[in-house]
Amino acid sequence: MDVVPGEALMLVGGNGAGKTTLLRLMAGLLKPNRGTIHYSGAVGMVAHHTMMYDALTARENLTFFGRLHGLPRDGRVDRLIDLLGLTHARDQRIATYSRGMLQRLAIARALLHEPDVLLLDEPLTGLDDAASHTVLDVIDELKRRGAALVIASHQLVELIGAVARVGYMVAGRLAALEPIAGLDAGGVVSRYRELVAGDG
Amino acid sequence: MTRRDRAVRAARRGAVVTGIALVGLAAVYVRALMFTPIERTQGPAQKIFYVHAPVAWAALLAFTVCGLLSLLYLIMRERKFDLMAAASAEVGTALAVVMLTTGPLWGKPIWGTWWTWDARLTSTLFTFLLFVGYLVLRGALSDFDVRARFSAVLGVMALVLVPFIHVTVYWFRTLHPDPVVLKPEGPSLPSVMLVTLLTSIGVCTVLYIGLVMQRYSLAVLQDIREEEEAGGGIP
Amino acid sequence: MGELLRVTAAIARKDLKVEWRTKTAFVSSLVFAVLVLAVLYFARDKTSVGDYDLAPGALWVTFTFAGMLGLNRAFLLERENRALDGLRLTPTTPTALFLGKVVGNLVFLGVVELVSLPLFILFYDVPIWRQLPVLLGVVALATVGYVAVGTLLSAMVVRTRFSEVMLPVLLLPFLVPPIVSAVQLTWRILALRPLSEMTGWLSLLAAFDVIFFTLSLLLFEAILVE
Repeated sequence: MDVVPGEALMLVGGNGAGKTTLLRLMAGLLKPNRGTIHYSGAVGMVAHHTMMYDALTARENLTFFGRLHGLPRDGRVDRLIDLLGLTHARDQRIATYSRGMLQRLAIARALLHEPDVLLLDEPLTGLDDAASHTVLDVIDELKRRGAALVIASHQLVELIGAVARVGYMVAGRLAALEPIAGLDAGGVVSRYRELVAGDG
Repeated sequence: MTRRDRAVRAARRGAVVTGIALVGLAAVYVRALMFTPIERTQGPAQKIFYVHAPVAWAALLAFTVCGLLSLLYLIMRERKFDLMAAASAEVGTALAVVMLTTGPLWGKPIWGTWWTWDARLTSTLFTFLLFVGYLVLRGALSDFDVRARFSAVLGVMALVLVPFIHVTVYWFRTLHPDPVVLKPEGPSLPSVMLVTLLTSIGVCTVLYIGLVMQRYSLAVLQDIREEEEAGGGIP
Repeated sequence: MGELLRVTAAIARKDLKVEWRTKTAFVSSLVFAVLVLAVLYFARDKTSVGDYDLAPGALWVTFTFAGMLGLNRAFLLERENRALDGLRLTPTTPTALFLGKVVGNLVFLGVVELVSLPLFILFYDVPIWRQLPVLLGVVALATVGYVAVGTLLSAMVVRTRFSEVMLPVLLLPFLVPPIVSAVQLTWRILALRPLSEMTGWLSLLAAFDVIFFTLSLLLFEAILVE
């Protein structure tokens, strides 16, 4: 499996199919038992948990992670906060944030070190329409800037327009990796069912 | 031969070894009680020494082996080292319990108290507590990989700690009878008693080996069954 | 090297900032320290046990147990929101993480100790002022060894269900060399004994610190990898 700059790849599969595991492997959080992963650039990840500290503010959290990456203090923290629409709350402790705000902050954190690949695990779950829109806009912007995206999600309808390829995960394996080829959400589901039937 | 067959064979052999050791232990007992003279100053109670000291030795051996196997596991990451270390720790804990109960049984008639905080008793008590901590930690972790790594770390730390504890407690107080065998001038036990003691040490070592073989085989069989239940093979 | 220092400092500072905002562990430790000191003070019989005999033990029992309350918070923090994953996604090395946590714990424990010390002086009539620098040196030395091992063990123990109980169970044997040495040294310092009587215990304490700090640092990586 490979990822292409400027393109979004979507992973689909039932619960327990292995989407999260695959993303964690790609992020380097898990070590593979067999095989190798080749990186040609930096990787960022957005997952279900924010991976940040409730007692700190958005700015403090981002500044902290920036320091860990060794990033210069060039105002990127504030720029990212603005980009994700969190300026009004940047000095509030993130314990007070809504789910949508947390998700956007998590994206900001993942983008801090300007990764070439961004992994997103269920990025739209629990978001209202406005927040979803913001995230989709960010995804488009990132593609335009040449990042490669891998998105694992159940929400086919919202995301289908943004992806170029679909990876079908069945029972812990990548059963197929195919271009979207004009399929809509329903088409993807049918294809998935085909593959599950073929596997069983 | 499959892994299971090898484990079953090792278990049988272990049982044989243990059996031999137990027979040997009985023989040592007979010798100790009937054929070895009564020690002048301590009286018949001194005979507990023939059990207490060798068991203490075996417990210390178990502890050291556990620590070394832990280090091996950390370096080589092979499952078997973890299972062996755990087996050694369990056997060692059992031996330590015997040691800690025979100690006071020996001590009461001779020193008049069940327990004193002297160097060697206290050191062995802490060794026992480290063993228990090791087993408790293992019991609290269900993921094999995490459990193996964490207990290996603890095993290595504990191994390095024991000399420190010994020095600390020794400087603090000393009441234990002076070493009668491991003295620079050579053993000061009369040869009859020495033979009994050394035989007992040998028998206890064999007992340790047999018990570890059995426990380890059991652990391997358990491991095999868990793998089968999980429905996948672990390479 | 500069990167190591930067990351270590960032982690320590973050830990202290979070703790300062919530203050729960800190207040608990302090209250606990006061309670232990007070109970030990009132529970003894003044006519049979002198200040010099009880004071060193009381001081170190207080520090030991109050300290244990603070050790677990360092890694419990990283469990919330899976923050540890976030750290692992950065170029932070296990060494930097370990050192950062150790520094955070040292500051935490140091503050608890410094606040308990005046109380200790209040309760026990011992000539502490003259000996304060030496005493502080011994306290620092013992605390370093304690925190190094405690940080490693707490990283393991937070993954278990009863971490608050597991930590003392695993840690206490490791505290025998440093704490016994510290008590022996404290006693001799307060009793104004000559330095020659202290060199043995000092070397034991120093050896323990060096060996176990290094060992904990080296073994920490094995705990982090998933």
